[in-house]
Amino acid sequence: MITEKGVWNRLRTRLLFTGPTLFAFITVMIIPFLYGIYLTFTNWDGISTTLSLVGIQNYLAVFRDIEFWKSFGLTLKYVFYTVVLINVIAFMLAYVLTKGLKGQSIFRAGFFLPNLVGGIVLGFIWQFIFNNVLVYLGQHASIQSLSTTWLADPDKAFWALVIVTVWQNAGYMMVIYIAGLTGVPNDIMEAASIDGANSWTRLRKMVLPLMVPSFIVCIFLSLQRGFMVYDVNLALTKGGPFSSTQMVSMHVYEKAFLSRDYGVGQAEAFVLFLMVALITLLQVYFSKKLEVEA
Amino acid sequence: MSKFKRVQWMVMLLLLVMVVSACGGSGGEGNSASGGGSGDSKNVKITLLNSKGEILPQLEEAAKAFQKDNPGITVEIQPVPTGGSPFERASALYASGNPPTMIMLDTGDVEKFKDRILDLSGEKWNKDTVENATTATTVDGKNYAFPLAVEGYGFIYNKAVVDKAVGGSFDPTTIKTRNDLEKLFQQIEASGKKALVISPMDWSLGAHYLPLAYAGQNKDMAEVDKFMASLKTGQASLANNPVFNGLMDTFDLMMKYNIDQASPLAGAYERGPELLGKGEVGIWFMGNWAWPQINSFDTANKEYGFLPVPISNNADDYGNQEISSAVSKRIVIDKEKTTPEQQDAAKKFLNWIVYDEKGQDFLVNQANIIPAFKNITLPAADPLGKSIQDYIAKGKSEQSMSMLPADHWSKTGSSMQKYLAKQGDRATLVKEIENYWKTVK
Repeated sequence: MITEKGVWNRLRTRLLFTGPTLFAFITVMIIPFLYGIYLTFTNWDGISTTLSLVGIQNYLAVFRDIEFWKSFGLTLKYVFYTVVLINVIAFMLAYVLTKGLKGQSIFRAGFFLPNLVGGIVLGFIWQFIFNNVLVYLGQHASIQSLSTTWLADPDKAFWALVIVTVWQNAGYMMVIYIAGLTGVPNDIMEAASIDGANSWTRLRKMVLPLMVPSFIVCIFLSLQRGFMVYDVNLALTKGGPFSSTQMVSMHVYEKAFLSRDYGVGQAEAFVLFLMVALITLLQVYFSKKLEVEA
Repeated sequence: MSKFKRVQWMVMLLLLVMVVSACGGSGGEGNSASGGGSGDSKNVKITLLNSKGEILPQLEEAAKAFQKDNPGITVEIQPVPTGGSPFERASALYASGNPPTMIMLDTGDVEKFKDRILDLSGEKWNKDTVENATTATTVDGKNYAFPLAVEGYGFIYNKAVVDKAVGGSFDPTTIKTRNDLEKLFQQIEASGKKALVISPMDWSLGAHYLPLAYAGQNKDMAEVDKFMASLKTGQASLANNPVFNGLMDTFDLMMKYNIDQASPLAGAYERGPELLGKGEVGIWFMGNWAWPQINSFDTANKEYGFLPVPISNNADDYGNQEISSAVSKRIVIDKEKTTPEQQDAAKKFLNWIVYDEKGQDFLVNQANIIPAFKNITLPAADPLGKSIQDYIAKGKSEQSMSMLPADHWSKTGSSMQKYLAKQGDRATLVKEIENYWKTVK
């Protein structure tokens, strides 16, 4: 609460507390962001000392870049499956692990653990599992679908990515759901069970509506992580086989730094930013309407 | 109250000073790091961004040896992180205003940096280079880069395996046509080993194998350039091109005898040297840089060599007896942030590599590099380097395509992978490659 009288006094107090953060935010986020937008109107290649303005040509190039839209479509598919699977699994884990099982904190820690491993390391670990461990098992136990590596087949490589992502993120979302579940007031649940509601009804009519804030956060996080996926994509499949699992972030990166087309790459990044911002804002806006008071 | 206000102002002022000095501080540090010699002219510090990860320890030793001979100059080697490209790292360093004194770039990158790097045409080593060593880095008559290494690639054979297969000492010059190659494959299979392994990495297929179809068009590089230009405009047709089709016929043959037929894209780079070194396959398509890895599995008493990739059944066709080779890594010197003292020190370091006995020893014996200089007469230290030197000496070398667009290997490499995995036929491959070239700027 700011109680000082006078504009200057108020401003000074604000600056004292928000100033440093604001300064850091503006210098490392806002200015580079605006500069990046400026670069989308140039033909810069990433290194040359001269650059000239080319108007909206880079944006036109974005719309002509079939590969970009192909990878964006693939990313949408990936986001759909990961968001659904992550949240369903995370909620089920959280539900089970708040029932007072023996050793439930060890299980919680165990499921959370993959989230602590960096995406690159995790990708390499799973690459080894898919390429060697599962193939070995498949060949020795004569399981047809495992006897050749999943990462060499476009469809299976996609599912490998989904599996690893779900494995990595479900534990993190589980923690948020656990916090949400423990926040559901006991008296309401008790009253409901006295009124004769069975556990399914209690879950559907009491728990889920009260958990909407947790769902908003978790779906938002998994949406955003899904759209921005890069590290797992790079370490697990490198976009292969034959570019069939190249997600949109990877495409943008390669456009800017591999094809040396910085302007177009930056424009694609900006288009991607707009679309992800739109989708996540819509998600938050509409799901806010589902919130209820206990 | 007023006392409290004064404290507030003090705190704010302090914060402001801290922020400003932090910014100023990093700038100053950058200057002193790159301009090390400006204060006292005695000690000059230069840095080299190394993008040839396999020679990092050797390079560090070389830097120490150089420092010993040249007191007052410190050379620091900075690695490019694994998986990163030198272009990417160098442009990031330039963007942060703190570029290294020397940068090891790939040939095709040099021209992009030409506004920021030193013209090296005046250096003595320019006239001692091997043929074609500086043509690719010369813009408007000025050479911007120091040629560091000659690298070559083709079919590497394990002599122990092929000796057993042909029943006697194998002579690589007997393989002149595709039929000869197939016969050799069959002989190897008959001796109980697998014929070859295809490493399915996009860079191997896209940057090494496919470019044989471009370079093999003509012995004259000017004609090859013309062919490339017609590919860009969409006039050249690959579908009816005899060199391309011949090369892909050889690829079909390779696929037929590939040890990884069941899952051709599953193999990783590390699998190649292991299979070849242990003698489980007789042949591997790769280059001389793979020697350290092959050596670590060696069972053939270090006897390996190169075979050309035949493109037809006519022994006289160009490419059937030639090994693809070219100068691959280049060192450039920054001129934006470096002081004249640093530039001189950097030039001295490059001259030391070419003309000093210790520098030559580092290049040839320690780092296993085939030098790009005629005055260095030391024989290559490893069998693969020897084999390439041998081909070059006999005039049987084909210039590798080192000026392809930067994304060529990844785009066409994935098309080649599709073909290798039999997910697309040759018509698809032709279409994808031709489309790629039409989108190149």
